[in-house]
Amino acid sequence: MIDQRVVMVFESADDLMSATRAVRESGWKIEEAYTPYAVHGLDEAMGRAPSRLPYITFLCGLVGTLLALWLQHWTSSVSWPLNVGGKPFNSLPAFVPVIFEIMVLFAGLGSVATLLIRSRLYPGKKVQLPSVDITNHRFALVLAPQDASFSHDEASQLCRRHNAVALHFLGDIENKK
Amino acid sequence: MTAQNGEGMEKRETNRDSGHRLDQEFGEPVFTELTRRSFLKLTGFGLAASLIPGCSRGPSEKLIPYLDQPEGILAGKATWYATTCGGCNAGCGMLAKNMDGRPIKLEGNPGHPISGGGLCPIGQAMVLPLYDAQRLQTPIIQGEKSDWGKVDREIRDSLAKIKRSGGSVRFLTGSLTSPTEQKTIQEFLSDYPGSRHVCYDPLSQSAILDAHLQTHGVRRFPGYDFGAAEWIVSFDADFLGTWISPVQFTAGYQAGRILESESPRLSQHLQFESRLSLTGSNADQRIAVSPEQINQLITALAARIAAKAGQSVGFSSPSLKPDHKAKIDELADSLWKSRGRSLVVCGLNQFETQVQVNLINHLLGNYEKTLSLLKPSNQCQGNDRDLAFLVDEIEKGKVSALFVLGVNPVYDLPGGEGLAQAIKKIPCTVSFATHLDETARVTRYVCPVHNPLESWRDAEPIAGKLSVTQPTIRPLGKTRAMVVSLTVWMGNKKEEYQVMKDTWRTDFFKRQKTDSTFGRFWDRALHDGWVEIDSPVRASTDFNMKSIQAVPKDPVISADKLSLVLYPKIGMLAGQHAHNPWLHELPDPVSKIVWDNEASLSPETARKFKVEQGDRIEIRQGEKKLVLPVHIQPGQYDGVVAVALGYGRVGTDRFTRVGPQWLESLPTVAVGETVGKNATLFLSLSEGRIGYSGSEVSIRPTGEHGELVTTQIHHSLSVPAGLAMKGMPKRPFVQETTLEEYKKNPESGSHPVHPKHDLWAGSHEYTGHHWGMIIDLAACTGCSACVVACQAENNIPVVGKDEVRLNREMHWMRIDRYYNETSEGTDVVHQPMFCQQCDHAPCETVCPVLATVHSSEGLNQQVYNRCVGTRYCSNNCPYKVRRFNWFDYPREDRLQNMSLNPDVTVRSRGVMEKCTFCVQRIQAAKSESASSGKPLVDGDIQTACQQSCPAGAVFFGDLNDEKGLLAKLKSSPRRYRVLDDLGVEPSVGYLRVVRNRPEPRGVKHHD
Amino acid sequence: MTEDTNVRPPLIDGNKDFQQVTEDICAPMERRPTNLWWVAILVSSSMLLLGVVAVTYQVATGIGTWGLNNTIGWGFDITNFVFWIGIGHAGTLISAVLFLFRQKWRTSVNRAAEAMTLIAVMCAGLFPIIHMGRAWLVFWFAPYPNFRGPLWVNFRSPLLWDLFAISTYMAISAAFWYIGLIPDMATIRDRATTKYRRMIFGILSFGWDGSQRTWSRYETVYLLLAGLATPLVLSVHTIVSFDFATAVIPGWHTTIFPPYFVTGAIFSGMAMVLTLMIIARSVMGLQDYITTRHLGAMCKIVLTTSMIVGLAYATEFFIAWYSGNPYERFTFINRALGPMGWAFWIMVGCNVLVPQLLWFRAVRSNVAVIFGISIFINIGMWFERFVIITTSLSRDFLPSSWASYVPTSIELATLVGSFGLFFTLFLLFCRLLPVIAIGEVKGAMKR
Repeated sequence: MIDQRVVMVFESADDLMSATRAVRESGWKIEEAYTPYAVHGLDEAMGRAPSRLPYITFLCGLVGTLLALWLQHWTSSVSWPLNVGGKPFNSLPAFVPVIFEIMVLFAGLGSVATLLIRSRLYPGKKVQLPSVDITNHRFALVLAPQDASFSHDEASQLCRRHNAVALHFLGDIENKK
Repeated sequence: MTAQNGEGMEKRETNRDSGHRLDQEFGEPVFTELTRRSFLKLTGFGLAASLIPGCSRGPSEKLIPYLDQPEGILAGKATWYATTCGGCNAGCGMLAKNMDGRPIKLEGNPGHPISGGGLCPIGQAMVLPLYDAQRLQTPIIQGEKSDWGKVDREIRDSLAKIKRSGGSVRFLTGSLTSPTEQKTIQEFLSDYPGSRHVCYDPLSQSAILDAHLQTHGVRRFPGYDFGAAEWIVSFDADFLGTWISPVQFTAGYQAGRILESESPRLSQHLQFESRLSLTGSNADQRIAVSPEQINQLITALAARIAAKAGQSVGFSSPSLKPDHKAKIDELADSLWKSRGRSLVVCGLNQFETQVQVNLINHLLGNYEKTLSLLKPSNQCQGNDRDLAFLVDEIEKGKVSALFVLGVNPVYDLPGGEGLAQAIKKIPCTVSFATHLDETARVTRYVCPVHNPLESWRDAEPIAGKLSVTQPTIRPLGKTRAMVVSLTVWMGNKKEEYQVMKDTWRTDFFKRQKTDSTFGRFWDRALHDGWVEIDSPVRASTDFNMKSIQAVPKDPVISADKLSLVLYPKIGMLAGQHAHNPWLHELPDPVSKIVWDNEASLSPETARKFKVEQGDRIEIRQGEKKLVLPVHIQPGQYDGVVAVALGYGRVGTDRFTRVGPQWLESLPTVAVGETVGKNATLFLSLSEGRIGYSGSEVSIRPTGEHGELVTTQIHHSLSVPAGLAMKGMPKRPFVQETTLEEYKKNPESGSHPVHPKHDLWAGSHEYTGHHWGMIIDLAACTGCSACVVACQAENNIPVVGKDEVRLNREMHWMRIDRYYNETSEGTDVVHQPMFCQQCDHAPCETVCPVLATVHSSEGLNQQVYNRCVGTRYCSNNCPYKVRRFNWFDYPREDRLQNMSLNPDVTVRSRGVMEKCTFCVQRIQAAKSESASSGKPLVDGDIQTACQQSCPAGAVFFGDLNDEKGLLAKLKSSPRRYRVLDDLGVEPSVGYLRVVRNRPEPRGVKHHD
Repeated sequence: MTEDTNVRPPLIDGNKDFQQVTEDICAPMERRPTNLWWVAILVSSSMLLLGVVAVTYQVATGIGTWGLNNTIGWGFDITNFVFWIGIGHAGTLISAVLFLFRQKWRTSVNRAAEAMTLIAVMCAGLFPIIHMGRAWLVFWFAPYPNFRGPLWVNFRSPLLWDLFAISTYMAISAAFWYIGLIPDMATIRDRATTKYRRMIFGILSFGWDGSQRTWSRYETVYLLLAGLATPLVLSVHTIVSFDFATAVIPGWHTTIFPPYFVTGAIFSGMAMVLTLMIIARSVMGLQDYITTRHLGAMCKIVLTTSMIVGLAYATEFFIAWYSGNPYERFTFINRALGPMGWAFWIMVGCNVLVPQLLWFRAVRSNVAVIFGISIFINIGMWFERFVIITTSLSRDFLPSSWASYVPTSIELATLVGSFGLFFTLFLLFCRLLPVIAIGEVKGAMKR
């Protein structure tokens, strides 16, 4: 019986991947993995679904498109219709460039904003890392607090099998360096 | 011209009433409580001064309404006064537009017997000298400012002394068209036995007067009627540009050239000249000859005409070059066929030559048909012989008192330096100058006179046509009219208007029959600006055939030397207008040079002397020498160097800092230097005449280069030779044809326009007005009056020589001038170019902030206070007619600012501007029409350029008005649009040039 | 883009591990600046100062302090603008387009290239502002609601399209660049030895912890941004080319402009990346990361785009002739043989002839020669814009208004100043932030 989070630290992404698969096979729950760079295939190994962010992007883009279209149409032919160079008030072909730019702007900034909000990234946020050097060259796997099925020995064996460099409890970083 | 009547007349209706009132007022002693002048002074200074700060960037101040509203003055509403232009002796009629008590714009007086409604560039610019801060404000004694009391005392003392000692008094003036002034001077001089009034013209045509004395027994200058002539032959007379009375002659000339009518008629005009004058540039045929050849050609022509008339003369035809001989033979035939309907004029100031010209006109029966001695002109009265005699007297110290009015002998005459020393020795010398000019600097007393817009004057430019000058503002300084000074010195002081009115009452009233009382007569004169009176001109004697003599042979110019031609420029004339920056910045109609005079050489001569445009050369004649920059002038006779007079005036260094001052700016004129150089040193005053052309000079490149500044660098509608593809056509912007071709096919000379597809047809229909303009290129002479008119109307700043050098001139209206080298010489075309008000304006589409958009009446509007200055509109303008405020142009001269038109915004830095068809006038006429309920008709709105045009070449109106003039002209077969292919749908059309010449000329390859 | 598909050489040299990569890349910003850096920043900031003085004078006095005139309304100003915008294209190309094409070599240069993009766009954005008659009115371009009644902007004007294109490009590029920097800044934060460094990078890194969840979203956003930025980068120069292509002036009114300008932009941008990378790798000691193979790959892009640009030049001439339009024909004859023909031949020489050397492998692997070529291309591409803008304007339809153009000292100083701004900011970037994307290099390393 244990209610602390276990942290396994690896030196390579391959080890992390194989360890992740092994942990999942043994039925333990993975809380999170930490890597210094984006490791492709890790979400799959952890059994996580891909992000739904593209939908947000599409939505933002759509809003941008409609907004730009409306703004240009309204200002040019409703609010202040002026004869400019003999062209019709609603010079739709001329509005395309701005529609496109606003679409990209909204979609792009919307996606970034969504990322920051969903991942709770903001300036000055205090961060507690599960282990040292995970933003440099270490890879960490954090197991969720376990029920009775968890055994420390088994975990140590798993670590050894997958070339882990350390195994410690969360918050125990200083000691196990 | 027909379209030009209307507005002025209507405007002056309001003035007619004030005319009555004025009469009553001026019946009283002057300067009582509320004379017109005193309230004009009040309004001029009070209201205008409070308005001016609103135009600058200073703190805004509240406009204080009149406590006592002066009668007839409505703030913001223009009052018009009929007056006479004082720019030269031609005496054109003007209407002065007064806003809030200050004259701001001068326009031609429609129906005036001299000018017929047009004005020249000088006339248009005459409002500026009124507000010239350097105008003399007080009298001067020996260079020190003084007051009238002291001046009058001293002069009367000296005169008394002279009277006692029997000294000689001399009154030196230019041609004096004012009968009142003539009379007053005579009265004044009558007190001094042996005194004389000497008259000379700096641009002398004394020989014409002398020749008529010889041939007709009267010393008169004939009145010319170019409109009555079917054949016009001009030998070096620039009658459309600078000769005697250009506005009058232009109007007359155009009267003989009517194409838009049922029966088109077009006079034939042949010009022989050595330089390329404005008149030559408009001639149907032009032959470049040397000054000495002109004499031979005239003699030859006279001999042939005499032969045809069966008249034996005491000279024979000189031998001519074969092509000249053929031309003269042909010309003699043509002239003989057009007897009584032809006119031969000559601008050479040579007695014998002019006698022969008289003979030709006499034998052709032209007297009293196309030129008249019974209705002679007073515009040119100078007598070179008198002048020479006077100069001699002065130099020999025989003169005791010298009065100088309207001329500047120290500058005008050769050897001015010596003359100045001699004048200094005269005990009593008085100059009636407006500025401290060259002569005023050496006279003991300077008695400054009013600006014409402050004066009461009259003029009789043509016998029987009296024109009135009335003040439009109270004198700004302590100036005094010459006639007033004379009455003071005669001991019975009279005000100016009184002197004039007295003359009119005694001399002129009885010579008319229209009005029964003098009051009515006077009123009519003030209202119309002119009246006609009987002119009891003594008939001339019969033609004196015995007077005819051979023209002495001119000295032959040796091969390595050049023949010098001195001529006036259209804005400067003999230099009277040297203080007028508008005229300095006006591009010369032919050379397009601004702010300078130059030595013109033909391309061939320039090659021979290995000089290029702008290289400085030294012109030398004996001890006299002058260094000038070279201008290469196509069409000029090889072997001639032409130099403009009227430059190098003292005091023009005032323009050193005209225009923006910044890190790399060059001064318009170096400190202590003058604008241009004075070429009068090459004039000759010998054998009783001032000689302007034909003297031998040598030139030498100095190796220096001084940039000549022009507003146009490329002069051909063909692309430069090295860059032309085979078969690359001449650009069809100016289209032309000949009369014969035109009669066969009215559309001859047209250029095919590719079929266009309108993507936005029907997007914007013009349901109300649709303003448009048509320029008749066959009528436009390129005189550039419109350029200055536009500048005055639209508050266009003067930017200085350096800015023009950088191609940043600000004129909204420019006149493009193209040369076309043909097998028979240089053809010239003038094309006024300004905003074409395109219905599919490319400038509008590209403005990011909607600072230029289209009005519902088809105007391409420029919104100054929305413009941010990207200059994209200008880049995208195919006509390049937009003007950008590169700097905040100087507006510090508060006095000068009084000439600003309050209806037009003064644009600040960073703003694009351009022609708007004088939208302020359109709006004014529209509101006038709305309040009166009368629909607008042609002529209700006249743009500034249209109003000024002496040739009547500009037509403005409503394209939607089916019965209007524009709609009619739009369907003229001669009408085309510049760059029609582009599909920008300009609202400005042009009417094709039609030349009355035998056949189209072969196009010579242009380089 | 790879040298050989069978035996793919390692991305970076020196057989490094992750820790070593971090050390190497962070080293330049953690040690004291080199003397060379000091000299460079001194020179570039002096140039910047000169520019600031010139621009201040110009804004205070008027556009008249430039050599422009009634005929030529745009000269150095818009030339510089288009030049810098063009430079700004390589960053996004390397980041986004090569990312989408899975070109792993991009990781060594994308960070610097993106920074270059941002700085170049800043330099570019300056010119439309200062070229206005009254620069302080620039906000009038914005369609903001106001109380003056209806008062909007003209959405038909290419200049307004420019405003939207450039600001969008700037925003998206900045977001892209900053998103890329966050993990690296976390790395720096976690290895920081001083309190302030830890604090500053702690704030800047937004509390990044490298968790898989965040990485997953991050990768998605990165891909999306790359997908958006790719058409964006094409649109920006297309729109810049509309400034000219939608005008009526012969030499401007040309349908070939969008692809021609985009290629030209990539070409010039790549050349500038080469210039900067060659400087950066030697000044910062990053030869192992920016190897001759990287340079070689960029050279191939330069060569390709050079030939496309050359083709565009030729096409313009062909179409001018083929159109039969006399104004168009004259404009192009005049461009090559007229009074400003020298500028045209500089352009052709630098942009088409000189890059042909890159056909040779020996040239592509000689850093000094590549550097020289890249400088030539920079000059040539500046002249391309100059030639298009001024020769077309100088002699359009009416010969009466034909004119020429000579820049003033103020304009020259402004151009120098823009280079000063560019290099100053780039040198500061090199000092303060990781020049190479640490995380991305690690991800792309073969281990």
